[in-house]
Amino acid sequence: MLKNWRGIGPVLTRAYTAKAKRSVLAQDKSKIKEYTPKVTDSHVNRVYVWGFQETGALGLQTSVKKAQERYTEMVHHPTRLQFSNNNEITNVTAGYGFTAYAVRRDDGETLFGSGLNTDSQLGFQVKGNPKDPANLDVIIYPTAIKLPRVQGETDEDMQVKSMSAGRAHLVVLTHNGTVFTLGNNSYGQCGRSIIEEERYSKSALIHRIPQEDICGKEDELVHVECGQDHTMFLTKSGRIYTCGWGADGQTGQGNYHTAGQITLIAGDIAKEKIVRLSCSSDCVLAVNEAGDVFGWGNSEYGQLDDSEHAETQINLPRALKLTKGIGKIKDVAAGGSFCMALNDQGLVYTWGFGILGFGPFVEQTSRPQHLLPPLFGRNDFSNATTVVSIGCGVFHMGAVNSDGDLFMWGKNRFGHLGLGHKKDQFFPFKAAINGKVSKVAYGVDHTIALCKPYL
Amino acid sequence: MALTKVYDAVTVFKHLNGILNVYKPAGMKAKHVRNAILSNICKGLNEMKQRELRKLPKDTPLLGTGTAADSVLHNIANNEDLSDNILSVGPRYLPRDIRCATVSSLGDHTSGVLLFGINKGIGQSGCLRKNQLVRVYHITGCMGTATENHLPDSHVTVRSNYRHVSADRISGLAASMQASHQRKMFELCGVDLQTQEAYELACKGLIRPSDDSQPVIYGIKLIRLEGPYFTLELHGINETQEYLAALVHDMALELRTVAHCSQLRCVRHAHFDVRDSLLRHGWHLPGIMKNLRQQRDILREHPELLRQERVELHA
Repeated sequence: MLKNWRGIGPVLTRAYTAKAKRSVLAQDKSKIKEYTPKVTDSHVNRVYVWGFQETGALGLQTSVKKAQERYTEMVHHPTRLQFSNNNEITNVTAGYGFTAYAVRRDDGETLFGSGLNTDSQLGFQVKGNPKDPANLDVIIYPTAIKLPRVQGETDEDMQVKSMSAGRAHLVVLTHNGTVFTLGNNSYGQCGRSIIEEERYSKSALIHRIPQEDICGKEDELVHVECGQDHTMFLTKSGRIYTCGWGADGQTGQGNYHTAGQITLIAGDIAKEKIVRLSCSSDCVLAVNEAGDVFGWGNSEYGQLDDSEHAETQINLPRALKLTKGIGKIKDVAAGGSFCMALNDQGLVYTWGFGILGFGPFVEQTSRPQHLLPPLFGRNDFSNATTVVSIGCGVFHMGAVNSDGDLFMWGKNRFGHLGLGHKKDQFFPFKAAINGKVSKVAYGVDHTIALCKPYL
Repeated sequence: MALTKVYDAVTVFKHLNGILNVYKPAGMKAKHVRNAILSNICKGLNEMKQRELRKLPKDTPLLGTGTAADSVLHNIANNEDLSDNILSVGPRYLPRDIRCATVSSLGDHTSGVLLFGINKGIGQSGCLRKNQLVRVYHITGCMGTATENHLPDSHVTVRSNYRHVSADRISGLAASMQASHQRKMFELCGVDLQTQEAYELACKGLIRPSDDSQPVIYGIKLIRLEGPYFTLELHGINETQEYLAALVHDMALELRTVAHCSQLRCVRHAHFDVRDSLLRHGWHLPGIMKNLRQQRDILREHPELLRQERVELHA
């Protein structure tokens, strides 16, 4: 009987043990206060900016008074651009102290800019009374650059296809194939004839070039690239047209002249289909479809030719012997004194002079050397990670891997590496950006990253 | 060689050496897991065929009394030492006869892979501990309520809304935390970033911390988000349950909400996976012996687990 009762009776189990646990269970949850923090609205695209702020190129400041305060001259950490919270930014480019943003928005404006406007590279920007306007030399927050339209041009036609900025000029290619050039034309970099003693400040001039005038009716422009004071146009069929400052041969026209006439260049690339073009100051690299590298312009540091009696200025595009044997090249980047290449295995090669990413002792290599994949986040936790795109400014280099992480190294002018300090970085180091980096614009003293949010 | 079934407790005990991979249930102390394992081993051993009783020295003359005690005398006449009988000395194997050490302990609320070194495996478990191997956790946080110690068994302190939290926000935050932890990794190995040593270390990829004082996180990623619950996969060294719970709490604050850590599971410890670990219903002698054999194979496949000469890290 007793046995039977035991079998039926409830088994006493108690998961909690002490008084403390009982008080947890007995807690009156209705009395707990609610925490409601402020939540900013999120936008699809994000832009992070860092580097030198005093020029206004970062577009972070909203008040002139605050911008003049101390400790605001540089931004060490990648900082989210507030302008990108309210606007769909599709493309960015960085010049020498100014930035341009391609924007898609309802009111039809497609181009915005901030930063130095001393040569009207961001268009005619004034403030105050419209009858007696005051010119703005520095724009601290992105402002609309009104591209002049001919009759019948829609907002869609005016969307930016490609754009690039040089020392003091900005070149924009729109969807309907029109090129707009703004800013300094003292070397003909705007693709128009040079006018002696032209005043660029407070200039409302935006030069408009239809693509038929550059490459004819059967071809179309796909990409524009600016060096310090010259401009290059890449077409769909792989031709390159140049204009501007050519003292180091960077226009590749076979001479050292300076001209506003946009000219097709030949040399070794005459029969090649060029797909990539890169330049940040006066040394130019190009890649054809087969993955061969061509270069022209300044070669003072042996970037383009390391033979003993090599010319220091190359004025015709030349197939590079240096990059033979490092595989098929997918991407190139040319900095002030160094070059980079990315091959189809995802290896990054650097050569030239400066901080190349091989530690503090290596200042110069004449042959391309590759940086080890672990430097770009390849490890046992992410063993498929490869570098997918590279780029460089005049003094610093960067690479984006397949996880969307940005790695930066080089001279740390005004904190434009985004590592949180002003010290130079001698090997690739990850910049902390809250998003997957899709495009990076490397300026001379600031950097802008266009990011996609995670997932 | 043909496999033979062993019935003999002595043979089994002789082979009871090595690393054991046990699945620790949540809410059970690691010490209790250890006690349960040891007592189950002893129970299993004691149920097996025991060794022969000790023999008495021969030719001790005995006289039969012709009473009920005669059968005892017959046994003695068999030369068996009755003082060695289980009925007189108790079970042959006791938990304290088995030496056992944990590689690294898990907190009370954590479940998952718990490694023990048994008998001669204690040396190996010491090596594993010193080599600072990576552990992988799946951590589930519950958004909406914060608790005092960030674990579910304490008073709720704050409530909050979490509707604005989306998967991309969490994973974005996780990535930036991962980046800052990888930078911290450089600080912990004690080199200046502007030196050649730092470059050489960076070329090796991830590196281990120089001591076991600081937790280092190598990877954080979001693997699931459902309702108030989100699950992170986290790779780390030197981490503790409290550190991970506080990490979830801090993440939630960054996401403009509050959270506590509702589940912690260690899914991998170096190459010792949760799939090979011994569940609670398998904590019996045959299961333990089989598990010891499996872990021995893993150690043989990856000898670097025991002899680590490199500073760089491999998952």
